[in-house]
Amino acid sequence: MTRNTEAALIIAASFLAAFGVTLVNFARGGSVDVQTSLTFLVFLITFGGLQVAVRTWAPRATPLLLAPIVALTAIGFLEVYRLDVVRAGLQRWWLLIGAGLAALVLALLSKPGTSVLRRYRNLILVISIALLLIPNLSSDWAFPLKGLEVNGSRLWVVLELGFTQMQFQPAELAKLGLVTFVAAYLADHQRALREAQRQVGPLRFPEPRQLIPLLAAWGVSVVILVWQRDLGASLLLFAGFVLLLYAATGATGYLAAGGLLALLGGVASFVMFDHVQRRVVAWIAPFENYQDEGFQIAQGLFALGSGSLAGAGPGLGRPDLIPNASTDFIFAAVGEELGFAGSVAVIALFALVVSVGLGIAFRSRDTFRKLLAAGLTFIFGIQVFLIIGGILRILPLTGITLPFMSYGGSALVGNLVLIALLLRISHEEAS
Amino acid sequence: MNGPIRRIAIGIFTAMGALLLAVTWFQVVRADDLKTDPLNPRPALTERGKERGLIVTTDGTVVARSVEDAGSRDYIREYPEGEAFAHAVGYSSFLVGSSALEATYSSQLRSRRDLTISDIVAVILGRDLRPENLEITIDTGLQLAALEALGDNKGAVIALDPRTGAVLAAVSTPSFDPNLLLGDDAAQQWETLLIDQSRPLIDRGTLEIYAPGSSFKTVVAAAAIDTGTAGPGTTFDDPNEFDLPGSTATISNFGGQACNDGVSVSLLEAFVRSCNTVFADLSIQLGAIDIAITAEALGFNTEIAYEWGIPLAVWPTDDLVGDDAALAQSGIGERNVRATPLHMAMVAAAVANNGVVTNPYMVQRIFDADGQTVETTEVAELGRAMAPETASVLAQMMERVVTEGTGRQAAVPGVRVAGKTGTATGRGDFSNPWFIGFAPVESPTIALAVFIEGSPSSGESATGGSLAAPIASELIEIWIASQS
Repeated sequence: MTRNTEAALIIAASFLAAFGVTLVNFARGGSVDVQTSLTFLVFLITFGGLQVAVRTWAPRATPLLLAPIVALTAIGFLEVYRLDVVRAGLQRWWLLIGAGLAALVLALLSKPGTSVLRRYRNLILVISIALLLIPNLSSDWAFPLKGLEVNGSRLWVVLELGFTQMQFQPAELAKLGLVTFVAAYLADHQRALREAQRQVGPLRFPEPRQLIPLLAAWGVSVVILVWQRDLGASLLLFAGFVLLLYAATGATGYLAAGGLLALLGGVASFVMFDHVQRRVVAWIAPFENYQDEGFQIAQGLFALGSGSLAGAGPGLGRPDLIPNASTDFIFAAVGEELGFAGSVAVIALFALVVSVGLGIAFRSRDTFRKLLAAGLTFIFGIQVFLIIGGILRILPLTGITLPFMSYGGSALVGNLVLIALLLRISHEEAS
Repeated sequence: MNGPIRRIAIGIFTAMGALLLAVTWFQVVRADDLKTDPLNPRPALTERGKERGLIVTTDGTVVARSVEDAGSRDYIREYPEGEAFAHAVGYSSFLVGSSALEATYSSQLRSRRDLTISDIVAVILGRDLRPENLEITIDTGLQLAALEALGDNKGAVIALDPRTGAVLAAVSTPSFDPNLLLGDDAAQQWETLLIDQSRPLIDRGTLEIYAPGSSFKTVVAAAAIDTGTAGPGTTFDDPNEFDLPGSTATISNFGGQACNDGVSVSLLEAFVRSCNTVFADLSIQLGAIDIAITAEALGFNTEIAYEWGIPLAVWPTDDLVGDDAALAQSGIGERNVRATPLHMAMVAAAVANNGVVTNPYMVQRIFDADGQTVETTEVAELGRAMAPETASVLAQMMERVVTEGTGRQAAVPGVRVAGKTGTATGRGDFSNPWFIGFAPVESPTIALAVFIEGSPSSGESATGGSLAAPIASELIEIWIASQS
């Protein structure tokens, strides 16, 4: 596959987004309007522009990554538009901002390469932790940067710019920074970690001293959970760290210990936090608790069942009945209106992205790049599994967004940067 | 390092596989259960928001329509005529279901958009997804007049075109405003109507059977004339009381006196004065089976294909063979004889239509969104119930009821009205007044049944002649005036 094929697929997916918007308009008795052309234009500028950036600053990058991303974004956008036209308009702005930032990352890395990230890993760690902590800033001081509590979670930051204000979740970018730090740290200490292992039964354990980074990661996750009450991000980061440690060392003990710690943390948070208890109740018995905790999950399942094989069609189902349909439950909205066919397509596209990401990691010769590509793909894949699995009752709902599909600017920007990093690694390894 | 990554990759793809399995479970295997789960609000909501067809009367009055809400863009059902058409047209409510024409013609009235991809296929194939519409035979003026005339009475009016069976008016009182059953509080409103002692939700015109009382003498007279057992001039004994065979009980006339001079009375006089003694005697002379032949030809004991399922009108032949006491009581429309007001209107219509029974109907045309006719109802004759001569003689007898008998209050100046009153045994101390009839006698264009369910508001001494006949008079006058 060549860059030109990729360009053709980007144009096709942009058409898909515009066509979806038009179908929603038809379903409402409207017709082709400014939303159609605006959507087509924004998709073309966002992803066409991103491809130009790739052609310029990472020309040897794999051409397999961008096309499935545009398709996923298009499907997600059509449902966001169907659920909330105002949010869709904001999402378009975030697409442009995200593409700009991703292009900027590609441009900045074009000279020094990704190895610069390894060199400044400690600075990246400090910045990431700072990003994680700023939502805890006071909500009512005079400083234009304020923390914000939404639905009991402190994830948001408001930046007041006088004429307008911007809200974002800094954790979305902090995630990338933390993965970068861990990948760099492990690349630097890989030999020591590998050699200092002992066999305990079927499991290979590192030296107790080497468990410190794992415990540190667990500590960060607990802090996020306690301070910001964000179960999803907490679980995501912890799982990502454990998998990276295992990838770097091959020590199965990390998986066992990580699983144990996760279980411990899970039980503790179930005992300590009633919002965790509510989620578990909703997971186990959504229909029995339909009037209360179970309502969202039950509505999500009704949406999927009502969508059946072919779906209601864009704009013709009732995904608006699901609370938070455009963020947490976008997958159920897609399932209702595009049916089983749409759901399978979405899962397949995510699997394709994950396999391309892992392929990049697989073929990387440089340890840091290998671990960075693997780590970024892990958190991407885990995130997809956590939220779709939560909707499908495989595990409790964690309130995390579906990459590229859910409404949400910070996540969109963060994920576009993630893709830019993967593309850059792919380019460097092909050079 | 690739070893662990490979194993993690296997783990991630296993997880993705689990997602595929789970989504197959919910969207394929369990899809129908979830779709129809009583907790799932979608089926009712999609039906609620969708356009339904118009129901218009033959004179062009819209009695049911869907209006698009500017905000939600959902269609909301409206019944502009409110309670006047509540039992004829019914309601279609997402919370409490549907009734009457709204229920029967649900598949024609609903939008064919089933909100799936198949809609697009249908559009490509050139099918019209918009709902179809109903044109009904009801005359709006007559319908409104009937509601008004029944007033505070519990009861029903059914008016037919005797030549075709077309329903010109179908009212049941007390009525209700079907618009109340459309809102978010529909369930509460429904509950209120359901526990109301006067039972406003019940369609007394077509869904309830009552003893027809003396109005049933029309059927017995038809059988007598048709079989040659008796004619208008045939004389009968005229006792004060008729002794029921094999019993100490007696049948007496209204007021407890003899019908005529206490010696003899003609069938015509007995019919005009509605004498029970004579008709008890005549019924025994005719026998249960001869009455059954005419009654069944008039649709008793027979399923009638109306717009919706209606109860059987009953002439219990088997119970009456060999039981003359019961037969005598049944011959005056009491005991276990039952009919709906619709059915008694059919009896009057058959006499008006030279003895031929027509099938009653309300929907005369189904038309699509462009106004093109999709289906027209064919007038259906159910058969001949009596010879034309019998019908003609009976019509003259019924005219005499109105000119000089119990139905004088049904008279309309300048119009030849024929009819028969009835005052049947009802619940408690109250009797149920009836009037069935048609007009104009020389060329009938309307046949009707007026039924009142006895209650404190109708009064203890209410009779068909005093309460039901005036309503018939009023409606016939309005109808004839509207026809000229």
